[in-house]
Amino acid sequence: MRHLFCALPCEAEPLIQHFKLSELKEHELFRLYQSQDKTISLAITGIGKLNAAAAVTYHHACLQTSSTDIWLNIGVAGHANLAIGEACLINKITDDRHTTTWYPQILFKTDCTSAALITHDAPATEYQAALFDMEASGFYQMALRLGTAELIHCLKIVSDNQEHPVEKINADVVKKLIAKHKTTIEQVLEALRPLAEELNSIKAVPDHYQSLIEQYHFTQSERLHLARLLRQWTVRFPKEDIIQSLRDIKNGKELNKKIHTKLAESDFVIHD
Amino acid sequence: MISTIYIEAEIAEHPRTLDILKRFPYASKVACERYGEIFNRKSQNFRLQKKQPALILAKKHKGMVLPTPKQYAIGAEHNYYFSHMLNCLYDCRYCFLQGMFQSAHYVLFINYEDFIEDMHASLEQHNGQAVHFFSGYDCDSLALDPVTNFTDEFLPFFEKNPNALLELRTKSTQTRNLLKRNPIQNCVIAFSFTPDKIASALEHKAPNIEKRLNAIIDLQQAGWQIGLRFDPLIYTKEYKKEYTELFTRLFSRINVDLVHSVSLGSFRLPKAYFRKVEKLYPDEKLFSAPMEEEDNNIGYSAEIRNDMLAFCTNIITQHIPAEKFFPCHETV
Repeated sequence: MRHLFCALPCEAEPLIQHFKLSELKEHELFRLYQSQDKTISLAITGIGKLNAAAAVTYHHACLQTSSTDIWLNIGVAGHANLAIGEACLINKITDDRHTTTWYPQILFKTDCTSAALITHDAPATEYQAALFDMEASGFYQMALRLGTAELIHCLKIVSDNQEHPVEKINADVVKKLIAKHKTTIEQVLEALRPLAEELNSIKAVPDHYQSLIEQYHFTQSERLHLARLLRQWTVRFPKEDIIQSLRDIKNGKELNKKIHTKLAESDFVIHD
Repeated sequence: MISTIYIEAEIAEHPRTLDILKRFPYASKVACERYGEIFNRKSQNFRLQKKQPALILAKKHKGMVLPTPKQYAIGAEHNYYFSHMLNCLYDCRYCFLQGMFQSAHYVLFINYEDFIEDMHASLEQHNGQAVHFFSGYDCDSLALDPVTNFTDEFLPFFEKNPNALLELRTKSTQTRNLLKRNPIQNCVIAFSFTPDKIASALEHKAPNIEKRLNAIIDLQQAGWQIGLRFDPLIYTKEYKKEYTELFTRLFSRINVDLVHSVSLGSFRLPKAYFRKVEKLYPDEKLFSAPMEEEDNNIGYSAEIRNDMLAFCTNIITQHIPAEKFFPCHETV
């Protein structure tokens, strides 16, 4: 799943259209949107880091996000001298009020400029050699609690700078700036996909685990042990179905013991 | 290779920092206060980061030189280890660093002079007795040497202090800096080995056995002292055949008279590290081997461990005198 977060409706609108998202009317606290195949969603957070953090939490609660999902905060931001319309992936987020800093991990190739960003509590009036916004620190801080750092990013499009100050910005300009970078946004999401897939494969529940814990009683530690044993079995004997060779099992403890014994009695070869 | 470099503000203007930055003109440079802000953060995934590690240039403030556990000694009473770098270019699946660190980024402590000062203090503490300093616990000593200039910066200290001995633990063939200078007798370049097939399966991105062997031959010919490290020993059904082939190959091609020391120990990890790495690589066969938990460590069952250690010890001691052989007698 990919989750997009925009502060303003005008930032979200081009993305809602591009990804063909429909509003989930049953959720009223924040406006949430989702694609028909449920692989991509969007939340309009409103302005400010508290709103951004709250929207991330709400989104998580409503859509039951997973730690292997991709999270992307998209919006416009000001910078002293970067060109209007330049797309920037954020490599450092500083919360201006709390002077806390986060460093999003960009592990993929990108055409975007990477830049630092400062999140302010109120609209900033002085341009600096860093992007500034009012949401990223709230978004990132909360998404980090729910997701995996390498899959959480902020993409900002430069909307104003010293030569073209913020007064000239309106909703139409913002829509055009975001719309112009639909492909950039897709590229970032696409670059993150293999990382998310790899994480998914690591965290996947082993074959038969679910059916076995429904069939037999296991304590919590026995469940963990079962998951480990099933993984070991799959790694060592990918073509042999363990279930076929287990008979007359009375309970979970006995099942674990039988798998353990089978593994222990088998030859161990580390390479093919 | 490195696309992002984090730079601690305190050492941003250090000449070594500036020199290293010149080598990566296209990398994104990100200023930070302390490396821990990046390196120690939770919610990071070591496996994902290993695909594209960043370089973090930092200052080490304390704990530069630390005592080594007794079982890792190679002949001296006083032993210390130090890490000018955290994490490794290679990706060996048995490596404890995957379990110990939150991040796979490379941290390079560029205040070498403070390390050397602490080494000097440790040396003085022992009044002229032999003191061994081990590099390569938390990184490969040589893999990034062309960038870090580690050997060029540290070896002069050992040239001036014959009571001190430096072990450079490595799998790297980056020996150019060593080969261009005069060898010293109190530096041991200690190469780690596992048999070919095991190395191919587990030692990702590391030079193959033949390349390591050639590096040893070049270093020996240049007059450098060599160590052989068979730690961890890795179990597989045919381990006797595979380790026999490895030992035969090594001892037939290197000059055994010029080997400083040989050590071995079987694969084991602290339980918490093992569980973390097992979760990172659930598809890895190594972690489905017959292992046991003992004293909060996880390693091969006592039977396997003892058989492997006895078997390998027997062959090694046919080639190497007992006084050069240092088995690691750690329980699992």
